[in-house]
Amino acid sequence: MAMLLARAFVSDGGVSFEGVSAVLAQPNHLRALRNSLLLATVVGIAGTALGFLFAFAAARCGLRPGAVAALDAVTLLPLISPPFTTAISIIFSFGPRGLITYELLGIKGVTVYGLTSTAFSEVLTFFPIAYLALRPMLSAIDPNIEGMARSLGASRWRVFRTVTLPLCIPGLANSFLLLFAASLADFATPLILAGNAFPVLPTEAYLQITGMFDLRGGAALSFVLLVPALAVYLLQRWWVGRGYYVTISGKSSAQTPFDSVAPGARLALLACCAAVTVLIAYLYLLLLYGSLVVALGANHAWTLVHYKVIFTEGMKAIRDTLIIAAIAMPLGGLFGILVGYLVARKSFFGRRTMETVSMLNFALPGTIVGIAYLIAFNDPPVMLTGTALVIIACYVFRYGATGIRTTMALLEQVDRGLEEASRGLGASSATTFRRVTLPLILPAFFAGLGVVFIRSMTAISATIFLISVSWTLITVKILDNMTELSLGPAAAFSVFVVVVVYAVIALVGLALRLLRAPGAAPEASLLGGG
Amino acid sequence: MNAAGIKVEQVSKRFSHRVKGEVYAARDVSLDVAPGEFVTLLGPSGCGKTTTLRMIAGFETPDEGQIAIGGEDVTGMPVERRNIGFVFQNYALFPHLPVFENVAYGLRVRALAGAELERQVAQVLGLVGLAGYERQFPNQLSGGEQQRVALARAIVIRPRVLLFDEPLSNLDARLRVQMRSEIRDLQKRLQITTVYVTHDQEEAMAVSDRIAVMNRGSIVQLGSAQDLYRRPVDAFVAQFIGRVNLVPGVVRAEAGDWLEVEALGQCLRVPRQQTRLQPGAAVKLVLRPESLRLIAGSGATVLSQTFLGEKTEYQVSCGGEALQVASHGGEALPAGTHVGLQFPEDGVALLP
Repeated sequence: MAMLLARAFVSDGGVSFEGVSAVLAQPNHLRALRNSLLLATVVGIAGTALGFLFAFAAARCGLRPGAVAALDAVTLLPLISPPFTTAISIIFSFGPRGLITYELLGIKGVTVYGLTSTAFSEVLTFFPIAYLALRPMLSAIDPNIEGMARSLGASRWRVFRTVTLPLCIPGLANSFLLLFAASLADFATPLILAGNAFPVLPTEAYLQITGMFDLRGGAALSFVLLVPALAVYLLQRWWVGRGYYVTISGKSSAQTPFDSVAPGARLALLACCAAVTVLIAYLYLLLLYGSLVVALGANHAWTLVHYKVIFTEGMKAIRDTLIIAAIAMPLGGLFGILVGYLVARKSFFGRRTMETVSMLNFALPGTIVGIAYLIAFNDPPVMLTGTALVIIACYVFRYGATGIRTTMALLEQVDRGLEEASRGLGASSATTFRRVTLPLILPAFFAGLGVVFIRSMTAISATIFLISVSWTLITVKILDNMTELSLGPAAAFSVFVVVVVYAVIALVGLALRLLRAPGAAPEASLLGGG
Repeated sequence: MNAAGIKVEQVSKRFSHRVKGEVYAARDVSLDVAPGEFVTLLGPSGCGKTTTLRMIAGFETPDEGQIAIGGEDVTGMPVERRNIGFVFQNYALFPHLPVFENVAYGLRVRALAGAELERQVAQVLGLVGLAGYERQFPNQLSGGEQQRVALARAIVIRPRVLLFDEPLSNLDARLRVQMRSEIRDLQKRLQITTVYVTHDQEEAMAVSDRIAVMNRGSIVQLGSAQDLYRRPVDAFVAQFIGRVNLVPGVVRAEAGDWLEVEALGQCLRVPRQQTRLQPGAAVKLVLRPESLRLIAGSGATVLSQTFLGEKTEYQVSCGGEALQVASHGGEALPAGTHVGLQFPEDGVALLP
């Protein structure tokens, strides 16, 4: 499979090199590239700032566990929703007949489409990635270091400025790069919100392929996208590889943190978080509301007709999506722990390549991966385009990577001596794996399951190129509804996805808690970005 | 430097514990440290010594009681205004700053800059033997060097008091012995009031003017190393400071400054000390292993012996009790040898 993937990229590259100069010659595409980079930068900065705000509040404000759980829940929502949910709600609120712009403020003829709303929506969608990356980092800073600075006479603000913030810079940079990459790859939000005035690369590539059936042009466009994406990915790998200042030493974390936030600052911080929380809650409630009324902005009578629509006309998409997710889930989980185990514990030829290829599959923008699969499986010998198989394969290989990472992280914590002890007691290699290693990496299996399922329910950028008449997906259906401006069913679909994903997450989380070995990876790895 | 005394008055600190409910980390702790004095808080983990130290520093606020430094009440004063030097167990060096900036941090906070700042940092780095390390980062230093940077950073601001929280427990044994004498030398040279927390009794005895032995959140006994060793107030202190045989006995008679105590099937003369014991009272004798001597005779039997080079340790059975005896020099006596046991008249303390 890795071979085929490699071939896919090579052929992708081969096609592109000829087309690249032609693509770049078009001012329209050049503008799209510039727009993409601008959008990604804005989202990277704003999302990191917001994520840091939340992470700081959670780690330093001495919140009760309940309040931290609430923060977690709010940040979880955007991560598990289909990528358009905030976009739909923003149109509900600020669109031509939006609740706020039209009903409340009475502004007519307003356009939401453009950079501001796209960036706004992407920040809300992606800032949880920054939150998840920064929170453990902040908690891992030895409170004694901040206490020490205080005892040397520094005020709280000075400590924050000269100690806490500098210690977080590697994490902030890393989170910026993650968000930059996520925004660069995001295809759904700009498709809905960017409009004609603000073209970006992924949507251009999509239109090129689906609108003009120009596979070569689309591939060339996505190749242009590949360059900054790969650069960011490598930069991020390098940055993380350099190591952080913050080391996690078990000893000091037991210390009670100091009152590192002044009461006034704490209040302001919490107010900000509360405002964002309320905003997110508002957007999701609006989505729910929009799915339950005839036509938001025009006719506010309660109705279940949208749900009727999705469970009749949309039933096929729901069934297809659930079937694909149900098949991809166990395969992805297994794939994750198997590759993770092989890479972490066995040495064989091509080990590094295997790791890199599987990670690349995960790190590249979905549009590129989708097009790569499309090209690779479009011709003999392996003609899979249009079947469910190619979608499943895409999900398994793309999102199984989380399982790989979790497995490797878990195995790093597991002393090799454990396995050696088992072998020393006379157990065979297979028995050792079954009785010792497997139970220890079971959490990674469940984390992998969870991620593959979430992504199977919510992904669009890769798979939009892979659907066909016989196999379609909920997310694609939502997109169709959006472009037809039938927002009601789109909202209903989104609510359905959020509910199903939440339920499955809760189940997987339960399984994780029950089966979790002491010292296993943190549960945050369940979400692992992407 | 401007040495200041510390006065801790009936300070208590409670924590809510998930299982045990409300527990006292420190209870009615009172402590007077004279200007320039070196006092150690010694005790097992969880005895409240670190909590007490952190309250003096200002990292914790006491629930009851007062703390004064240099005659000034600092109970409610935030840590950054107390002008203290603190050395953490894990050093808490700023990992993103080189050695120079680590040490200069407190001076920069005090708005010092330029040549004067460089002079003071250089001087204090010279004092701890780290001249030439200015550009290194903490993760490039050994444990001992990190310890010295932490020390330099704490003293460069000329603090009124210097506080140590188990500063040596992350070092290996040899370095520990070396660093503790360096800390003591430096403290004597700078004449700086110091409170030092450790769980290592030998370390405490090596560095301190006085030692406060703590247990369960309270100070059990406060005194010099000799006081604690010779005249412990209870079994806890006796067992925590050095090794000890605690032997039950009964007071039979009193004669002036002496008591006659029956123990181990013999009658021993013991100095009366300050205890008010009447004849008939049950007591415990504090017998240090090295104060007992094995002599030719009978009444005791060697159970086992361990040769340790400078001394030999024996397990001896006497009057139904198993006693530890340390003997310097002389022939090693094999197990089963019948011996006599000599008790020193002034080397015995009594506990009620």
